Amino acid sequence: METRYPEIMAPAGSWASLRAALQGGADSIYFGIEQLNMRARASNNFTLEDLPEIASLTKEQGVKTYLTLNTVLYDHDLPLMRRIVDGAKEAGITAIIAADQSAISYAYKQDVEVHISTQANISNIEMVEFYSHFADVMVLARELSLGQVQNIVEGIEERQIIGPSGELVEIEVFAHGALCMAVSGKCYLSLHAYNSSANRGACKQNCRHSYRVTSDDGNELEIDNEYIMSPKDLCTIDFLDQLLGAGIQVLKLEGRGRSPEYVKTVTRCYREAARAVVNDEYTPEKVDRWIQDLRDVYNRGFWNGYYLGQRLGEWSKVHGSAAEKEKTFIGKVLHYYPKAEVAHVRIKTKELSLDDDILIIGKKTGVAEPNIKSIWVDDQPVEKTVQGQECTLKIDAEVREGDKVYLWEDRDQ
Amino acid sequence: MKITFFRSKCIGCNYCVEAWPERWQMSKRDGKCVLIGGKKKGQVYRADVGEYERKYNQRAAEACPVDIIRID
Repeated sequence: METRYPEIMAPAGSWASLRAALQGGADSIYFGIEQLNMRARASNNFTLEDLPEIASLTKEQGVKTYLTLNTVLYDHDLPLMRRIVDGAKEAGITAIIAADQSAISYAYKQDVEVHISTQANISNIEMVEFYSHFADVMVLARELSLGQVQNIVEGIEERQIIGPSGELVEIEVFAHGALCMAVSGKCYLSLHAYNSSANRGACKQNCRHSYRVTSDDGNELEIDNEYIMSPKDLCTIDFLDQLLGAGIQVLKLEGRGRSPEYVKTVTRCYREAARAVVNDEYTPEKVDRWIQDLRDVYNRGFWNGYYLGQRLGEWSKVHGSAAEKEKTFIGKVLHYYPKAEVAHVRIKTKELSLDDDILIIGKKTGVAEPNIKSIWVDDQPVEKTVQGQECTLKIDAEVREGDKVYLWEDRDQ
Repeated sequence: MKITFFRSKCIGCNYCVEAWPERWQMSKRDGKCVLIGGKKKGQVYRADVGEYERKYNQRAAEACPVDIIRID
């Protein structure tokens, strides 16, 4: 019998991130289009016209595609919602991820597979039973402990709760990435402060700022941590064996707003870890290595979420990232010679030296991560190249004209 | 007074309509806002309207969460 590995579902907030997810070994990707998704503010959302290309690119690699349609919907959104569902069906997108009953109902009527979003906050077996009339896969509420997750998975088996496909309902959970202090998509902070509804994908993240508590008479309350509403990022890689042991079939990685190198690294780490668990090769040494790799890319520090039963969140200590590596833009690819595996690059800022690690990121390239072994300027080998120069670099991954080149170095802590 | 509206960035929140429905309405086609009387020039829509509308359109601009309405 073929070994069944859990599905690794990666975020795709842009073409480069989508390619990065594929390079990282994602089994499925999720993405939003137009303004009806939880990243509506993002400038690089996909459009309806992109659906066929997304579908064909992912089908080539046997990767499933999920379209997020999970904002609060108003009356005037309904025609667009229907067009998006119709477009998804026509393009052959695997499923839509929805929370609003209008989207769930319409997709179901159109025979489009539906997954229930975390915005529905499914937290008990009766809710699973209710939504099973419409959906085969459900994301559980983020506040559940491992034991509660396991009870729900076992309940599905015991009650034989099947979805529209006739198969037992599958359970998906968030395994890694940002957590909100509110129920995702059920928060009014941003609306109160900026008139910008998080529930419509326009979150301004005021929970991520530092705050001071001041009394009416001007006395400031001393608090240990000013980031009182900004949880650290969820990380489950150090207890993934327990998470998968609870019967989870899909591991969802958060990060549609994050960079391509983040997507590639996180996807790769969780794919390797999930396979290691299933193959009985999951060791503390490997876990340490994955955690170090995860620390290199964007993070607010890590905690285990609510899975292991913490009563209170662990709060971030900083605004923004605690990543241990950072990327700095240095130039652009002018041309790539595939036979020679050489990239012609213009250095626009800073300098590049032998043995530097770089990232090359582009819409079709995704993320290439070469180490620089040779630099040529004016047909002469050199040890470094500086701002304003053009150089050729030996790059064994295919890159393209217009791709951006970044230094990838340890961050000053 | 002139209104400039960067429509492609609209997220369909409806606040401009709440502020001044005489000049703003939601499109049933794509769920984004329409500047009534606006003419498309490149990526933006523009409209010249009476000065008496200024305070209402100002409210719409201030209410817009993505800052895509400009009043001159």
